[in-house]
Amino acid sequence: MTTLVVASLSTREVGRRRAALILVIALPFWFYLVRRDLTGQSIRMLTLGIGWAISTLTLFVVNASRGVDPRLRLTGASVVSIIGGRLLAMTGLGVALALGYWTLVAIDQDVLHLWAAALTMLVSALVAAPLGSLIGALLPRELEGALALLSVVAVQMLADPAGLTAKLMPFWSAREIGTYAVDGGSLDLVWRGLAHMGVTWLICVGGTLAVFQWRLRLARYPEP
Amino acid sequence: MSDWPSAFEAELLRLGVQPGRARRLADETSQQAAESAATPGDVFGPAHLYARHLMAELNAPAAATTRTRFEAGPVLLSLTGVGKKYRRQTVFQDVNLTVRGGEVAAIVGANGCGKSTLLRICAGLTRPTSGEVRRVRRVGLVPQDGGTAGWLTAEEHFTLFGAAAGMVPGRARSTGVHLATRLAWRPGRKQRAQQMSGGTRQKLNLVLGELHAPDLLLLDEPYQGFDQGAYLDFWQQVFAWRDAGRAIVVVTHLLHDLQNVDHVLDLGER
Repeated sequence: MTTLVVASLSTREVGRRRAALILVIALPFWFYLVRRDLTGQSIRMLTLGIGWAISTLTLFVVNASRGVDPRLRLTGASVVSIIGGRLLAMTGLGVALALGYWTLVAIDQDVLHLWAAALTMLVSALVAAPLGSLIGALLPRELEGALALLSVVAVQMLADPAGLTAKLMPFWSAREIGTYAVDGGSLDLVWRGLAHMGVTWLICVGGTLAVFQWRLRLARYPEP
Repeated sequence: MSDWPSAFEAELLRLGVQPGRARRLADETSQQAAESAATPGDVFGPAHLYARHLMAELNAPAAATTRTRFEAGPVLLSLTGVGKKYRRQTVFQDVNLTVRGGEVAAIVGANGCGKSTLLRICAGLTRPTSGEVRRVRRVGLVPQDGGTAGWLTAEEHFTLFGAAAGMVPGRARSTGVHLATRLAWRPGRKQRAQQMSGGTRQKLNLVLGELHAPDLLLLDEPYQGFDQGAYLDFWQQVFAWRDAGRAIVVVTHLLHDLQNVDHVLDLGER
């Protein structure tokens, strides 16, 4: 139950930060708009924009909770329920954002595999929340975390898609599935993308939980 | 109820309070009610009764300590030879303290001598470098500042902390609101923590620390931003906890608090 309460209240918190929420929703749109004339590029940029927006939002939500989390632990909540609830909320927001933009793409673009376009945006949203959470766990200060995320997205955007560097980036999965959605080809692209997403998700969620298990650990004292 | 502050001030004057002080108390009381988005009458009741109650509290702080004391219960917190070092710097060492149920202990000392660190060690959030800590499992911590989520209302905080303690949302909210009234505070339904004054936020912190009915309460200068009435309400609440058999450890720098406590631990100069 704690997980669901944390998720519900995290969603409510984000919903009240109206200006931040509007900027988060708008960010992928600017990415999309600048390359709207090219279907493939616009979808790839949009997907990356969704990933950047949700991971940044998650980073700030994680950092904003630093004062509350130790008290929740002391009151009886487990690390998994606190972090899991927050990830659930941010992933839900990411999925909603992805579905919204998929609707825009479906109306505005002529895409070869529309279902795969939906999948690439969902994959981006699913990876983004744990990625923002992991960076927030490793770099507790907001500025450092935001700059780290900017670096990740910049490298992802600029790296040669065929090279090793691009494959090591967290959103490579979305790019791979996006290629299938726009250019067609073998379904292997989709499977490779899903496998990459699965591994990235596990690393980010596992890393986040490991860092917070250590940071929010409570000393076990014997009873008097 | 717009003349409530005037009636309150007039009653204070009638009870012999100096005009300047009466005006200040009336202003503080009105401000406190405004923070709760309610009229003073709704929060404090009739003006003349609250004025008498407040004066009784202000005039008799020492009398409160002479109330009937219950026998101290079992040991709920025990520190033996506890020390803390950050790299090569010793914050404190060889700290000993035993607090039983029904007792209040105060930790005093200069700024930077490690009072808050010691409280975090008692909570289990920081590990001691040396020594032994024994304590009961159910513990509540009230930090000096922070510890709340700025975008959530008081009731949402009750729901969140209640869920952490395994309480259903409805019960957590009603318990929180009930505990808040003991501090003469009625939480506003729409007021977020970041919109509260420092004193009201500390009341929220106090309620959150107590929500899960801990046996041991660790309070780190919890009265920051309290007005005089809230400060007295706070000590009344500490006595109520003590009389209910709980152990309370308070970090304080106010020397006149020390007459109210059973143990004083001076961490000294750094």
